[in-house]
Amino acid sequence: MSEDFEPKIVAFLCKWCSSAGSDLAGVSRMEYPPNVIPIQVMCSGSVSPLYIFSAFNKGADGVLVSGCHPGDCHYIKGNMYARRRIALVKKLLEHIGLEPERFQMSWVSAAEGTKYTQVIKDFVKMLKPLGPQTKLRRNP
Amino acid sequence: MTNIEDLKKEAKRLLEEGKVKYIIGYEKGKERWTATPVFIKKPEDVDKLVWDPTCVYNLAKFLVDDKRRKKRERQPDPRPVGVVVKGCDSRAVVVLLQEKFINRNDVYLIGISCEKAGVGDEKKLAKQIGNKKILKTEFGDKNIIITTEEGKVEVPVEEVLASRCLECKVNFPVIVDVLLGEKTKRAVEKPFKSLENTESLSKEEKWNFWKEQLEKCIRCYACRSVCPMCYCDECVADSICFAVTADTSADEKAQKIKWVEKSSDLSENFVYHLVRAIHLAGRCIDCGECERVCPLDIPLRMLNKKLEKEAKELFDYEAGLDPAQPSLVSSFKDEDPEDFIR
Repeated sequence: MSEDFEPKIVAFLCKWCSSAGSDLAGVSRMEYPPNVIPIQVMCSGSVSPLYIFSAFNKGADGVLVSGCHPGDCHYIKGNMYARRRIALVKKLLEHIGLEPERFQMSWVSAAEGTKYTQVIKDFVKMLKPLGPQTKLRRNP
Repeated sequence: MTNIEDLKKEAKRLLEEGKVKYIIGYEKGKERWTATPVFIKKPEDVDKLVWDPTCVYNLAKFLVDDKRRKKRERQPDPRPVGVVVKGCDSRAVVVLLQEKFINRNDVYLIGISCEKAGVGDEKKLAKQIGNKKILKTEFGDKNIIITTEEGKVEVPVEEVLASRCLECKVNFPVIVDVLLGEKTKRAVEKPFKSLENTESLSKEEKWNFWKEQLEKCIRCYACRSVCPMCYCDECVADSICFAVTADTSADEKAQKIKWVEKSSDLSENFVYHLVRAIHLAGRCIDCGECERVCPLDIPLRMLNKKLEKEAKELFDYEAGLDPAQPSLVSSFKDEDPEDFIR
Protein backbone atom coordinates (compact mmCIF):
# COMPACT_ATOMS: atom_id res chain seq x y z
CA MET A 1 0.00 0.00 0.00
CA SER A 2 1.16 3.52 -0.68
CA GLU A 3 2.91 5.38 2.08
CA ASP A 4 0.49 8.30 2.08
CA PHE A 5 -2.48 6.24 3.20
CA GLU A 6 -3.75 7.71 6.42
CA PRO A 7 -5.80 5.23 8.44
CA LYS A 8 -8.87 6.39 10.27
CA ILE A 9 -9.05 5.09 13.82
CA VAL A 10 -12.12 5.22 15.99
CA ALA A 11 -11.15 5.15 19.65
CA PHE A 12 -13.67 4.42 22.36
CA LEU A 13 -12.09 5.98 25.44
CA CYS A 14 -13.49 5.59 28.90
CA LYS A 15 -14.29 8.86 30.56
CA TRP A 16 -12.40 8.28 33.78
CA CYS A 17 -9.03 7.02 32.57
CA SER A 18 -8.26 6.83 28.88
CA SER A 19 -10.09 9.96 27.90
CA ALA A 20 -8.35 11.84 30.67
CA GLY A 21 -5.12 10.23 29.49
CA SER A 22 -5.66 11.52 25.98
CA ASP A 23 -6.47 14.91 27.45
CA LEU A 24 -3.22 14.86 29.34
CA ALA A 25 -1.39 14.07 26.11
CA GLY A 26 -3.14 17.08 24.60
CA VAL A 27 -2.49 19.60 27.33
CA SER A 28 1.09 18.39 27.67
CA ARG A 29 1.53 19.11 23.96
CA MET A 30 2.75 15.64 23.17
CA GLU A 31 2.81 14.89 19.48
CA TYR A 32 0.93 11.96 18.07
CA PRO A 33 -0.73 11.11 14.74
CA PRO A 34 -3.99 12.94 14.05
CA ASN A 35 -5.67 9.80 12.67
CA VAL A 36 -7.70 9.05 15.71
CA ILE A 37 -11.31 10.04 16.29
CA PRO A 38 -11.90 9.83 20.02
CA ILE A 39 -15.36 8.91 21.31
CA GLN A 40 -15.83 9.30 25.01
CA VAL A 41 -17.84 6.56 26.67
CA MET A 42 -18.66 6.30 30.34
CA CYS A 43 -16.85 3.00 30.74
CA SER A 44 -15.05 0.54 28.52
CA GLY A 45 -17.64 -1.95 29.75
CA SER A 46 -20.36 0.11 28.11
CA VAL A 47 -18.88 -0.41 24.67
CA SER A 48 -21.30 -2.71 22.94
CA PRO A 49 -19.85 -5.05 20.31
CA LEU A 50 -22.35 -3.39 18.01
CA TYR A 51 -20.45 -0.09 18.31
CA ILE A 52 -17.35 -1.85 17.07
CA PHE A 53 -19.02 -3.57 14.13
CA SER A 54 -20.80 -0.36 13.31
CA ALA A 55 -17.56 1.63 13.34
CA PHE A 56 -16.02 -0.79 10.86
CA ASN A 57 -19.22 -0.73 8.84
CA LYS A 58 -19.14 3.05 8.60
CA GLY A 59 -15.59 3.21 7.40
CA ALA A 60 -13.11 2.91 10.28
CA ASP A 61 -9.77 1.36 9.35
CA GLY A 62 -9.07 0.48 12.94
CA VAL A 63 -10.95 0.49 16.22
CA LEU A 64 -9.43 0.99 19.65
CA VAL A 65 -11.18 0.36 22.92
CA SER A 66 -9.36 1.79 25.87
CA GLY A 67 -10.21 1.70 29.54
CA CYS A 68 -8.80 1.84 33.04
CA HIS A 69 -6.27 -0.68 34.27
CA PRO A 70 -7.82 -3.69 36.01
CA GLY A 71 -8.74 -2.69 39.52
CA ASP A 72 -8.93 1.02 38.68
CA CYS A 73 -12.38 1.05 37.15
CA HIS A 74 -14.57 3.89 38.35
CA TYR A 75 -17.46 1.44 38.36
CA ILE A 76 -15.35 -1.19 40.15
CA LYS A 77 -15.49 -3.92 37.51
CA GLY A 78 -16.73 -2.48 34.19
CA ASN A 79 -13.38 -2.99 32.49
CA MET A 80 -13.31 -6.64 33.58
CA TYR A 81 -16.55 -7.26 31.72
CA ALA A 82 -15.12 -5.36 28.77
CA ARG A 83 -12.04 -7.55 28.76
CA ARG A 84 -14.14 -10.67 28.37
CA ARG A 85 -16.45 -9.22 25.77
CA ILE A 86 -13.69 -7.67 23.69
CA ALA A 87 -11.78 -10.96 23.68
CA LEU A 88 -14.82 -12.62 22.13
CA VAL A 89 -15.29 -9.85 19.56
CA LYS A 90 -11.64 -10.09 18.63
CA LYS A 91 -11.88 -13.83 18.10
CA LEU A 92 -15.05 -13.45 16.07
CA LEU A 93 -13.52 -10.82 13.81
CA GLU A 94 -10.50 -13.05 13.29
CA HIS A 95 -12.80 -15.95 12.49
CA ILE A 96 -14.47 -14.13 9.63
CA GLY A 97 -11.10 -13.08 8.24
CA LEU A 98 -10.66 -9.47 9.30
CA GLU A 99 -7.04 -8.59 10.04
CA PRO A 100 -6.69 -8.95 13.82
CA GLU A 101 -4.45 -5.89 13.93
CA ARG A 102 -7.38 -3.66 13.07
CA PHE A 103 -8.99 -4.09 16.44
CA GLN A 104 -7.08 -3.28 19.59
CA MET A 105 -7.67 -2.82 23.24
CA SER A 106 -5.48 -1.01 25.72
CA TRP A 107 -5.41 0.05 29.34
CA VAL A 108 -4.51 3.71 29.64
CA SER A 109 -4.80 5.51 32.95
CA ALA A 110 -5.41 9.22 33.40
CA ALA A 111 -1.72 9.74 34.11
CA GLU A 112 -0.48 7.85 31.07
CA GLY A 113 -0.49 10.52 28.38
CA THR A 114 2.76 9.14 27.04
CA LYS A 115 1.40 5.63 26.86
CA TYR A 116 -1.65 6.91 24.98
CA THR A 117 0.49 8.61 22.34
CA GLN A 118 2.57 5.45 22.05
CA VAL A 119 -0.54 3.28 21.62
CA ILE A 120 -1.80 5.52 18.83
CA LYS A 121 1.63 5.75 17.16
CA ASP A 122 1.99 1.97 17.13
CA PHE A 123 -1.57 1.46 15.95
CA VAL A 124 -1.12 3.84 13.02
CA LYS A 125 2.18 2.18 12.14
CA MET A 126 0.47 -1.20 12.16
CA LEU A 127 -2.47 -0.07 10.06
CA LYS A 128 -0.50 1.73 7.33
CA PRO A 129 0.76 -1.38 5.56
CA LEU A 130 -2.69 -2.98 5.72
CA GLY A 131 -4.30 -0.30 3.62
CA PRO A 132 -7.93 0.78 3.84
CA GLN A 133 -10.41 -1.52 5.50
CA THR A 134 -12.90 -2.49 2.81
CA LYS A 135 -14.22 -5.77 4.12
CA LEU A 136 -16.87 -4.62 6.53
CA ARG A 137 -17.28 -1.20 5.03
CA ARG A 138 -20.64 -0.14 3.72
CA ASN A 139 -20.56 0.55 0.02
CA PRO A 140 -20.49 4.25 -0.61
CA MET B 1 -33.92 -47.41 24.27
CA THR B 2 -36.60 -44.85 24.90
CA ASN B 3 -39.97 -46.45 24.70
CA ILE B 4 -42.62 -44.39 23.01
CA GLU B 5 -45.29 -46.04 25.13
CA ASP B 6 -43.65 -44.63 28.27
CA LEU B 7 -43.86 -41.18 26.77
CA LYS B 8 -47.52 -41.62 25.89
CA LYS B 9 -48.31 -43.02 29.33
CA GLU B 10 -46.60 -40.14 31.07
CA ALA B 11 -48.31 -37.58 28.83
CA LYS B 12 -51.68 -39.20 29.42
CA ARG B 13 -51.17 -39.21 33.18
CA LEU B 14 -50.19 -35.53 33.22
CA LEU B 15 -53.20 -34.50 31.17
CA GLU B 16 -55.66 -36.65 33.06
CA GLU B 17 -54.45 -35.37 36.41
CA GLY B 18 -54.56 -31.85 35.04
CA LYS B 19 -50.97 -31.20 36.04
CA VAL B 20 -50.16 -29.36 32.81
CA LYS B 21 -51.95 -26.94 30.51
CA TYR B 22 -50.94 -28.83 27.44
CA ILE B 23 -48.06 -30.88 26.19
CA ILE B 24 -45.80 -29.84 23.36
CA GLY B 25 -44.36 -32.81 21.53
CA TYR B 26 -43.81 -34.22 18.09
CA GLU B 27 -46.24 -35.93 15.77
CA LYS B 28 -45.57 -37.68 12.49
CA GLY B 29 -44.88 -35.18 9.73
CA LYS B 30 -47.70 -34.84 7.26
CA GLU B 31 -46.01 -33.27 4.30
CA ARG B 32 -42.34 -33.59 4.98
CA TRP B 33 -39.97 -36.05 6.47
CA THR B 34 -39.49 -34.08 9.68
CA ALA B 35 -41.92 -34.53 12.55
CA THR B 36 -44.37 -31.73 13.24
CA PRO B 37 -44.63 -30.06 16.64
CA VAL B 38 -47.96 -30.88 18.21
CA PHE B 39 -49.86 -29.31 21.09
CA ILE B 40 -51.81 -31.93 22.99
CA LYS B 41 -54.61 -30.74 25.21
CA LYS B 42 -56.75 -33.85 25.59
CA PRO B 43 -55.62 -37.17 27.10
CA GLU B 44 -57.10 -39.13 24.19
CA ASP B 45 -54.79 -37.37 21.73
CA VAL B 46 -51.57 -38.68 23.25
CA ASP B 47 -51.33 -41.43 20.66
CA LYS B 48 -50.22 -38.77 18.20
CA LEU B 49 -46.88 -38.46 19.98
CA VAL B 50 -43.83 -39.89 18.27
CA TRP B 51 -40.15 -40.11 19.07
CA ASP B 52 -37.76 -40.97 16.27
CA PRO B 53 -34.88 -39.34 14.35
CA THR B 54 -37.32 -37.04 12.58
CA CYS B 55 -37.91 -35.01 15.76
CA VAL B 56 -35.46 -32.27 14.82
CA TYR B 57 -37.21 -29.15 16.07
CA ASN B 58 -36.24 -27.34 19.21
CA LEU B 59 -39.47 -27.11 21.17
CA ALA B 60 -38.01 -24.68 23.71
CA LYS B 61 -38.97 -21.95 21.27
CA PHE B 62 -42.63 -22.52 22.09
CA LEU B 63 -41.98 -21.65 25.73
CA VAL B 64 -41.06 -18.15 24.59
CA ASP B 65 -44.34 -17.92 22.69
CA ASP B 66 -46.24 -19.30 25.66
CA LYS B 67 -44.85 -16.64 27.94
CA ARG B 68 -45.91 -13.93 25.52
CA ARG B 69 -49.38 -15.41 25.21
CA LYS B 70 -49.70 -15.65 28.97
CA LYS B 71 -48.88 -11.98 29.30
CA ARG B 72 -51.77 -11.03 27.05
CA GLU B 73 -54.37 -13.27 28.67
CA ARG B 74 -56.63 -11.76 31.26
CA GLN B 75 -56.79 -14.87 33.39
CA PRO B 76 -53.77 -16.94 32.50
CA ASP B 77 -53.76 -20.62 33.31
CA PRO B 78 -51.22 -20.96 36.14
CA ARG B 79 -50.42 -24.58 35.35
CA PRO B 80 -47.09 -25.38 33.72
CA VAL B 81 -46.59 -26.34 30.10
CA GLY B 82 -45.41 -29.86 29.43
CA VAL B 83 -42.58 -30.00 26.93
CA VAL B 84 -40.84 -32.97 25.40
CA VAL B 85 -37.16 -32.08 25.47
CA LYS B 86 -34.11 -33.64 23.93
CA GLY B 87 -30.65 -32.91 25.29
CA CYS B 88 -30.22 -29.75 23.26
CA ASP B 89 -33.74 -28.50 23.96
CA SER B 90 -33.21 -28.94 27.67
CA ARG B 91 -30.07 -26.86 27.47
CA ALA B 92 -32.09 -24.14 25.78
CA VAL B 93 -34.56 -24.30 28.66
CA VAL B 94 -31.64 -24.03 31.10
CA VAL B 95 -30.46 -20.82 29.43
CA LEU B 96 -34.00 -19.42 29.52
CA LEU B 97 -34.13 -20.27 33.23
CA GLN B 98 -30.66 -18.87 33.82
CA GLU B 99 -31.71 -15.58 32.25
CA LYS B 100 -34.91 -15.69 34.31
CA PHE B 101 -37.00 -15.46 31.18
CA ILE B 102 -39.17 -18.32 32.37
CA ASN B 103 -39.73 -19.77 35.82
CA ARG B 104 -38.96 -23.33 36.70
CA ASN B 105 -42.53 -24.00 37.79
CA ASP B 106 -43.92 -22.74 34.49
CA VAL B 107 -42.54 -25.76 32.68
CA TYR B 108 -42.84 -29.47 33.15
CA LEU B 109 -39.97 -31.10 31.31
CA ILE B 110 -40.43 -34.55 29.89
CA GLY B 111 -36.87 -35.40 29.02
CA ILE B 112 -35.97 -37.86 26.33
CA SER B 113 -32.45 -39.12 26.11
CA CYS B 114 -31.04 -39.39 22.60
CA GLU B 115 -28.86 -42.20 23.96
CA LYS B 116 -26.48 -43.34 21.24
CA ALA B 117 -28.21 -41.62 18.40
CA GLY B 118 -29.67 -38.17 17.81
CA VAL B 119 -31.78 -36.61 15.15
CA GLY B 120 -31.34 -36.92 11.42
CA ASP B 121 -30.37 -34.38 8.84
CA GLU B 122 -32.67 -34.14 5.85
CA LYS B 123 -29.88 -33.27 3.46
CA LYS B 124 -27.65 -36.11 4.55
CA LEU B 125 -30.58 -38.47 4.32
CA ALA B 126 -31.33 -37.37 0.78
CA LYS B 127 -27.77 -38.26 -0.14
CA GLN B 128 -28.26 -41.75 1.23
CA ILE B 129 -31.57 -42.71 -0.22
CA GLY B 130 -32.20 -40.24 -2.99
CA ASN B 131 -35.67 -38.85 -3.40
CA LYS B 132 -37.57 -41.97 -2.50
CA LYS B 133 -40.48 -41.31 -0.19
CA ILE B 134 -39.67 -42.20 3.40
CA LEU B 135 -42.47 -43.87 5.28
CA LYS B 136 -40.82 -44.43 8.60
CA THR B 137 -37.55 -43.63 10.37
CA GLU B 138 -36.60 -45.57 13.46
CA PHE B 139 -33.70 -45.89 15.87
CA GLY B 140 -31.89 -49.16 15.51
CA ASP B 141 -29.14 -50.52 17.71
CA LYS B 142 -26.26 -48.88 15.93
CA ASN B 143 -28.09 -47.92 12.79
CA ILE B 144 -31.00 -45.85 11.77
CA ILE B 145 -33.66 -47.92 10.03
CA ILE B 146 -35.39 -46.14 7.21
CA THR B 147 -38.44 -47.64 5.60
CA THR B 148 -39.07 -46.38 2.10
CA GLU B 149 -41.57 -47.42 -0.52
CA GLU B 150 -39.06 -49.93 -1.78
CA GLY B 151 -38.24 -51.53 1.53
CA LYS B 152 -36.03 -51.17 4.56
CA VAL B 153 -32.59 -49.58 4.50
CA GLU B 154 -30.21 -49.56 7.43
CA VAL B 155 -27.84 -46.65 7.51
CA PRO B 156 -25.03 -46.17 10.06
CA VAL B 157 -25.76 -43.43 12.56
CA GLU B 158 -22.78 -41.30 11.48
CA GLU B 159 -24.05 -41.08 7.93
CA VAL B 160 -27.41 -39.49 8.61
CA LEU B 161 -27.17 -37.74 11.97
CA ALA B 162 -27.20 -33.96 12.02
CA SER B 163 -23.65 -32.67 12.42
CA ARG B 164 -24.52 -31.02 15.73
CA CYS B 165 -25.59 -34.40 17.08
CA LEU B 166 -22.24 -35.87 16.13
CA GLU B 167 -20.55 -33.15 18.17
CA CYS B 168 -22.99 -33.26 21.08
CA LYS B 169 -21.33 -34.06 24.39
CA VAL B 170 -24.49 -33.98 26.48
CA ASN B 171 -26.95 -36.11 24.55
CA PHE B 172 -29.38 -36.43 27.43
CA PRO B 173 -31.54 -33.75 29.05
CA VAL B 174 -29.65 -31.91 31.78
CA ILE B 175 -32.75 -30.77 33.62
CA VAL B 176 -35.94 -32.81 33.75
CA ASP B 177 -39.06 -33.56 35.74
CA VAL B 178 -39.25 -37.03 34.32
CA LEU B 179 -36.59 -38.74 32.27
CA LEU B 180 -37.27 -41.38 29.65
CA GLY B 181 -34.36 -43.43 28.42
CA GLU B 182 -30.92 -43.71 29.91
CA LYS B 183 -28.30 -41.13 30.63
CA THR B 184 -25.64 -42.60 28.47
CA LYS B 185 -22.82 -40.30 27.61
CA ARG B 186 -21.42 -40.64 24.17
CA ALA B 187 -17.71 -40.21 23.74
CA VAL B 188 -17.05 -37.31 21.41
CA GLU B 189 -13.46 -37.10 20.32
CA LYS B 190 -13.64 -33.78 18.58
CA PRO B 191 -16.46 -31.59 19.85
CA PHE B 192 -15.45 -28.79 17.50
CA LYS B 193 -14.78 -30.88 14.44
CA SER B 194 -16.95 -28.83 12.10
CA LEU B 195 -14.77 -25.80 12.78
CA GLU B 196 -11.58 -27.49 11.65
CA ASN B 197 -12.14 -26.80 7.98
CA THR B 198 -12.46 -23.06 8.35
CA GLU B 199 -9.95 -22.66 11.15
CA SER B 200 -7.14 -24.08 9.08
CA LEU B 201 -7.70 -21.44 6.39
CA SER B 202 -5.57 -18.34 6.03
CA LYS B 203 -6.95 -14.88 6.72
CA GLU B 204 -7.82 -14.19 3.12
CA GLU B 205 -9.33 -17.62 2.58
CA LYS B 206 -11.47 -17.20 5.67
CA TRP B 207 -12.66 -13.88 4.40
CA ASN B 208 -13.45 -15.29 0.98
CA PHE B 209 -15.30 -18.20 2.54
CA TRP B 210 -17.52 -16.00 4.68
CA LYS B 211 -17.95 -13.46 1.93
CA GLU B 212 -19.23 -16.13 -0.40
CA GLN B 213 -21.56 -17.46 2.28
CA LEU B 214 -22.95 -14.20 3.60
CA GLU B 215 -23.38 -12.70 0.16
CA LYS B 216 -26.17 -15.22 -0.27
CA CYS B 217 -28.12 -14.01 2.75
CA ILE B 218 -31.48 -12.54 1.81
CA ARG B 219 -32.18 -11.35 5.36
CA CYS B 220 -35.33 -13.38 5.75
CA TYR B 221 -34.53 -13.54 9.49
CA ALA B 222 -35.54 -17.19 9.64
CA CYS B 223 -32.46 -17.81 11.82
CA ARG B 224 -33.68 -15.22 14.26
CA SER B 225 -37.27 -16.44 14.26
CA VAL B 226 -36.37 -20.04 14.97
CA CYS B 227 -33.78 -19.36 17.64
CA PRO B 228 -35.04 -20.05 21.17
CA MET B 229 -32.49 -17.57 22.50
CA CYS B 230 -33.61 -14.71 20.24
CA TYR B 231 -36.51 -13.69 22.42
CA CYS B 232 -36.00 -9.91 22.61
CA ASP B 233 -39.21 -7.99 22.07
CA GLU B 234 -37.31 -5.56 19.91
CA CYS B 235 -34.35 -6.64 17.85
CA VAL B 236 -31.46 -4.29 17.38
CA ALA B 237 -31.32 -5.31 13.73
CA ASP B 238 -34.76 -3.85 13.07
CA SER B 239 -34.55 -0.18 12.42
CA ILE B 240 -38.26 0.09 13.15
CA CYS B 241 -37.71 -0.46 16.84
CA PHE B 242 -38.22 3.15 17.70
CA ALA B 243 -41.42 4.42 19.22
CA VAL B 244 -42.95 6.91 16.82
CA THR B 245 -45.69 8.92 18.44
CA ALA B 246 -47.56 12.03 17.41
CA ASP B 247 -44.93 14.03 19.27
CA THR B 248 -41.96 12.56 17.43
CA SER B 249 -40.44 15.27 15.31
CA ALA B 250 -39.19 14.72 11.80
CA ASP B 251 -35.74 15.55 13.07
CA GLU B 252 -35.89 12.82 15.68
CA LYS B 253 -36.99 10.31 13.08
CA ALA B 254 -34.13 11.32 10.83
CA GLN B 255 -31.60 11.21 13.65
CA LYS B 256 -32.55 7.85 15.11
CA ILE B 257 -29.79 5.35 15.16
CA LYS B 258 -29.96 2.72 12.50
CA TRP B 259 -27.39 0.13 13.41
CA VAL B 260 -28.01 -2.22 10.54
CA GLU B 261 -29.58 -1.35 7.21
CA LYS B 262 -32.36 -3.59 5.98
CA SER B 263 -30.87 -4.04 2.54
CA SER B 264 -29.15 -7.34 1.98
CA ASP B 265 -25.78 -5.81 1.14
CA LEU B 266 -22.72 -7.79 2.04
CA SER B 267 -21.58 -5.25 4.61
CA GLU B 268 -25.00 -5.14 6.27
CA ASN B 269 -25.28 -8.91 6.26
CA PHE B 270 -21.94 -9.10 8.00
CA VAL B 271 -22.99 -6.71 10.73
CA TYR B 272 -26.27 -8.55 11.22
CA HIS B 273 -24.69 -11.97 11.48
CA LEU B 274 -21.81 -10.77 13.65
CA VAL B 275 -24.23 -9.10 16.03
CA ARG B 276 -26.35 -12.21 16.16
CA ALA B 277 -23.30 -14.34 16.83
CA ILE B 278 -22.03 -12.11 19.61
CA HIS B 279 -25.47 -11.85 21.19
CA LEU B 280 -25.54 -15.63 21.30
CA ALA B 281 -22.06 -15.94 22.77
CA GLY B 282 -22.31 -18.11 25.86
CA ARG B 283 -26.03 -18.61 25.22
CA CYS B 284 -26.11 -20.66 22.05
CA ILE B 285 -26.67 -24.27 22.99
CA ASP B 286 -25.97 -25.55 19.51
CA CYS B 287 -29.37 -26.85 18.52
CA GLY B 288 -28.42 -26.08 14.94
CA GLU B 289 -31.86 -24.75 14.10
CA CYS B 290 -30.54 -21.56 12.45
CA GLU B 291 -28.51 -23.55 10.00
CA ARG B 292 -31.34 -25.98 9.32
CA VAL B 293 -33.91 -23.33 8.51
CA CYS B 294 -31.60 -21.18 6.40
CA PRO B 295 -33.06 -21.24 2.89
CA LEU B 296 -29.66 -20.47 1.42
CA ASP B 297 -27.65 -23.02 3.40
CA ILE B 298 -25.36 -20.54 5.11
CA PRO B 299 -23.30 -22.43 7.72
CA LEU B 300 -24.50 -20.18 10.54
CA ARG B 301 -23.71 -22.78 13.15
CA MET B 302 -20.03 -22.21 12.54
CA LEU B 303 -20.22 -18.63 13.81
CA ASN B 304 -21.91 -19.71 17.03
CA LYS B 305 -19.75 -22.77 17.39
CA LYS B 306 -16.62 -20.65 17.13
CA LEU B 307 -17.72 -18.50 20.05
CA GLU B 308 -18.73 -21.60 21.97
CA LYS B 309 -15.23 -22.90 21.47
CA GLU B 310 -13.61 -19.64 22.54
CA ALA B 311 -15.83 -19.47 25.61
CA LYS B 312 -14.71 -22.94 26.54
CA GLU B 313 -11.04 -22.36 25.85
CA LEU B 314 -10.63 -18.82 27.15
CA PHE B 315 -13.11 -18.75 30.00
CA ASP B 316 -13.93 -22.41 30.64
CA TYR B 317 -17.61 -21.66 30.18
CA GLU B 318 -20.22 -23.99 28.78
CA ALA B 319 -23.72 -22.81 28.06
CA GLY B 320 -26.87 -24.50 29.21
CA LEU B 321 -25.64 -26.86 31.88
CA ASP B 322 -26.45 -25.06 35.11
CA PRO B 323 -29.32 -22.60 35.58
CA ALA B 324 -27.59 -21.12 38.62
CA GLN B 325 -24.33 -20.10 37.01
CA PRO B 326 -23.84 -16.47 35.97
CA SER B 327 -23.89 -15.94 32.21
CA LEU B 328 -20.71 -15.63 30.18
CA VAL B 329 -20.69 -11.89 29.55
CA SER B 330 -22.15 -10.86 32.88
CA SER B 331 -19.37 -12.46 34.87
CA PHE B 332 -15.61 -12.44 34.88
CA LYS B 333 -12.65 -14.06 36.52
CA ASP B 334 -9.51 -12.30 37.62
CA GLU B 335 -7.44 -14.68 35.57
CA ASP B 336 -9.26 -14.02 32.28
CA PRO B 337 -6.71 -13.72 29.46
CA GLU B 338 -5.48 -10.24 28.72
CA ASP B 339 -2.49 -10.89 26.53
CA PHE B 340 -4.19 -9.09 23.65
CA ILE B 341 -4.44 -5.85 25.65
CA ARG B 342 -1.50 -3.51 25.75
